[in-house]
Amino acid sequence: MSDAESRIKQTITANDVVLFMKGTKAMPQCGFSSRVAGVLNYMGVDYADVNVLEDDGIRQGIKDFSDWPTIPQLYVKGEFVGGCDIITEMTLSGELDQMFEKSGVTFDKDAADKIREANG
Amino acid sequence: MKLTFPTRVREFKAFDSKMKGPELKMTVTEEIRNRLEAGLSPRHLEIEDQSEAHRGHAGFREGGESHFHVEIHAAQFGGMSRIARHRAVHEALGKDLMGRIHALSLTLEE
Repeated sequence: MSDAESRIKQTITANDVVLFMKGTKAMPQCGFSSRVAGVLNYMGVDYADVNVLEDDGIRQGIKDFSDWPTIPQLYVKGEFVGGCDIITEMTLSGELDQMFEKSGVTFDKDAADKIREANG
Repeated sequence: MKLTFPTRVREFKAFDSKMKGPELKMTVTEEIRNRLEAGLSPRHLEIEDQSEAHRGHAGFREGGESHFHVEIHAAQFGGMSRIARHRAVHEALGKDLMGRIHALSLTLEE
């Protein structure tokens, strides 16, 4: 196992929700990362952010690990959930809420509803 | 004997390759269309070059064709998870073409 792969595994095991992104949750560096971080921030989800721009090993490693060519990538309970398009669709359809509930991840349901109202 | 070609011939060749050599002159948009049609037989395929909206952002290049939104309706998406649908599109496009596109946003329906 490569160093990047073992670090990725360690991170997604140690944290229920992990967002591999460009930039940080406080300062995203790309529109797609910004959208997903924005949703999680607004929904009050406790998550670990991994800035791939600061680590070339992780930047390529996470693409290989997930078999997914783009960033951001969201992991919940060690499982790959998707990138920006999928998280956006799941937020609007309510599937993201369901997945968090099923996984025991706490979030602000009212905030999630507000996102849907604003984008309905 | 040294053969020289008049400029006219070179111009003609350039013109000809544009008309007949899709591999050489195809735009990224055309290439996306060809590969998705071949790989997914979509019922509906819409490719939008959104590059201009990303002027000044990372990955933007003059002339566009860096940021795309693609909407595909294909029967084979039926019964596939969201992740599997996206992976099918990535595969149809191929690693080389995916590598040339900076950003690809997808709307995938059965």
